[in-house]
Amino acid sequence: MKTRLKRTLLTAALLTSAMPTAFAQECADADRVPITWSTIAGFYTDAMANLVSGFEAKNCVKVNVVNIDNSQLYNKQVIEMVGETGAYDVVTLETSEKAEYAENGFILPMTDYFKDKKEQLDDVAPTLAALTTQYKGDVWGLPYYTYTAGYIYRADLFDDPTEQEAFKAKYGYDLAVPTTWAQHRDIAEFFTRKKGENLKGQPLEKDFYGVGLMAGPFPEIQDEMSGVLWSQGGDWLTDDGKVPVDAVEKAMNDYLELMKFAPPAALTVTYDGVMNQMKDGQIAQTYSFFLDQWPNAVQTEQTVPGAKMGVAEAPEKKAYIGGFLLAVSAASAHPKEAMDFVAYIGGHDAQMEFAKAGGTSTLMSVLSDPQFATEESRPKTGHFTTLLKIFDSMQGFRSNLFLTPFGAKIYNTMQIPLQSAAAGQINAREAAEQLAATVEKICGGPCPIGK
Amino acid sequence: MSLSASIPQRNQIAVPSGMSDRWFAILLIVPAMAVILVFALAPLIYALDVSFRYADLTLGGMGEYVGLDNYRSVLADAAFWASAWVTVKFTLGAVILEMVLGIAIAFLIHGATKGKGIIRSLMVLPLATSAAVTGLFWRYLYDTQFGLINYFLGLLHLPEPNWLGDYTIALWSVVIFDVWQWTPFVALIALAGLQALPREPFEAAELDGASTFRVLRTLTFPMLAPVLFLVLVLRTIDCVRLYDAVAVLTRGGPGTVTESMTFYLYRTGLKLFRMDYASTMAIFFLYAMLVASLFALRPLLTQFSTRASEG
Repeated sequence: MKTRLKRTLLTAALLTSAMPTAFAQECADADRVPITWSTIAGFYTDAMANLVSGFEAKNCVKVNVVNIDNSQLYNKQVIEMVGETGAYDVVTLETSEKAEYAENGFILPMTDYFKDKKEQLDDVAPTLAALTTQYKGDVWGLPYYTYTAGYIYRADLFDDPTEQEAFKAKYGYDLAVPTTWAQHRDIAEFFTRKKGENLKGQPLEKDFYGVGLMAGPFPEIQDEMSGVLWSQGGDWLTDDGKVPVDAVEKAMNDYLELMKFAPPAALTVTYDGVMNQMKDGQIAQTYSFFLDQWPNAVQTEQTVPGAKMGVAEAPEKKAYIGGFLLAVSAASAHPKEAMDFVAYIGGHDAQMEFAKAGGTSTLMSVLSDPQFATEESRPKTGHFTTLLKIFDSMQGFRSNLFLTPFGAKIYNTMQIPLQSAAAGQINAREAAEQLAATVEKICGGPCPIGK
Repeated sequence: MSLSASIPQRNQIAVPSGMSDRWFAILLIVPAMAVILVFALAPLIYALDVSFRYADLTLGGMGEYVGLDNYRSVLADAAFWASAWVTVKFTLGAVILEMVLGIAIAFLIHGATKGKGIIRSLMVLPLATSAAVTGLFWRYLYDTQFGLINYFLGLLHLPEPNWLGDYTIALWSVVIFDVWQWTPFVALIALAGLQALPREPFEAAELDGASTFRVLRTLTFPMLAPVLFLVLVLRTIDCVRLYDAVAVLTRGGPGTVTESMTFYLYRTGLKLFRMDYASTMAIFFLYAMLVASLFALRPLLTQFSTRASEG
């Protein structure tokens, strides 16, 4: 009996120790099913490489990662989808692109795949899931990364007694994290100062600006404006599929009002430029800004003496919301393996690793994990609590921009009139009217809204 | 056998027996024609076909024939004409500056007694790198916050413009970049032309006591004209095709202030995937280029054919 037990234990031990080798032998490189994932270059590329390795260790699959510059990702992917080349098995989509890909049959629905994985699907922040994964009753993939916007600011300026006193004297209310866009504007005006003036009682060595804006020739200008437009009860498209000119004009005018308090470079930069301004001690706050940039923003505490960063919900509790959706190409030669990959990257274990590397997860279980709420974790995950609040505040929110099959084309075009206005070439009304005309041209009339 | 006598023999190609010179000549150009047919003519014919159809790539690809609808749309499109105007402004600005500066630099180098070789080598550098790469450097040089250009302007207490963000000057910032990159090309070609000029007419003019201005007007520029004209045509064609500098420096912005025809074509074709509309614009573009090239190249072609007949 003893000998048999010994033998059994020994066999078990051998089996356990030999398992990885056995798996490796079972799955020689030549046997691995190749799948290709097209994704955004520079977005935690190293972390993604580790996650991919984790997937490959558990599956007899070889994942080729194709890193593509963000500005080229949409067109490169669409060309492959239209040609049904199968070059990419897993694609990465911006929220506004989902409806186009789904409607045109570029990606496969994953509703059936997730039938017995309901728990995993339910773990995606519900507000995010509704906007990023669902379209016309089907599930189209999993978001693995959220760029949902909020408010990032220099908390040390807000906490300074001299500044608090001066602010109250000028505006008649306490300097605090703004809860309305009017307060946000006041704060932007208040902190805009010339070289030589005092900030926190110290003379400034260079000009200081009240707000950092992403008004460069990139789509981020509309991301910034989205939160404001939505908080004013508007949307980029009405239910009739038209641009509400008056609402866009108002949001644009508010934006133009803020341009007065932004660095001149606002007209050429996007999010990385704003972060450089923050880390260079040039700006006091952001507008409606991507919270995934928190690990970048918090570095200001090292680069600017005495700086302390803060993060909060955007004023009026509305901000641009969304995430990068992983979906499976309809032309994929290995859709099963591709779906397994999507489920893995969007799954709990991979998302935990992603969060530890500084990525902004889309899962409630990860965002609310206590280990990410500690002081040690703050430089990487200090924005998670705020994200949870935003998802809660924006529960049930929908935008028609994400529900029209022309969303991607509109998204890729709308920056032009908005930036023209930001640069002073045209006024807010003209920008809104140009946008309306452009959108009508893109959709060939009122845009269809797929609900 | 002398060397001079052996060279023509080595270069002579034997015509296969039984084949006429005419057919042999045709045989020689067949490979080149095949390449042109596959890579230029076939796509052109395809683009022409697409321009008469409805073709939204994301909505089912090639659609029905729509006659001249796309041509009417392009002609009525304010954005198309705005991009054409941007292209004209850029081309005029860049080509004039490049020609003037290039020729001036060529004369300076031609008159230099030392360091010609080093200067020529240095001048090749901007040409040796693609605009996509140098454009990135220039974007940082132009940066209002961290750029070197504004840093030095600040040291001199001069205004620090928003080079790429100010819509009144953004296009000229692209022009400056192009001038930096391509003036050396003009200078090098002009310099080669200057160095190839025969000495005798200039020596005769010197003996006759002709002024420098007269020598330039009656001898140098007329003799240099074919070379300069060729450079002018090449630079004009290249400027009209402006894309990479815009893509890297401004992405057509602010708004559409720097959106050239090719950038608008790219945006229509590869962002909106309206291949019908993009193909129609490409046909217009090609037509304009062909007409312009024919007019521009006519004097050169006439000169070449005259020389050939004289030879």
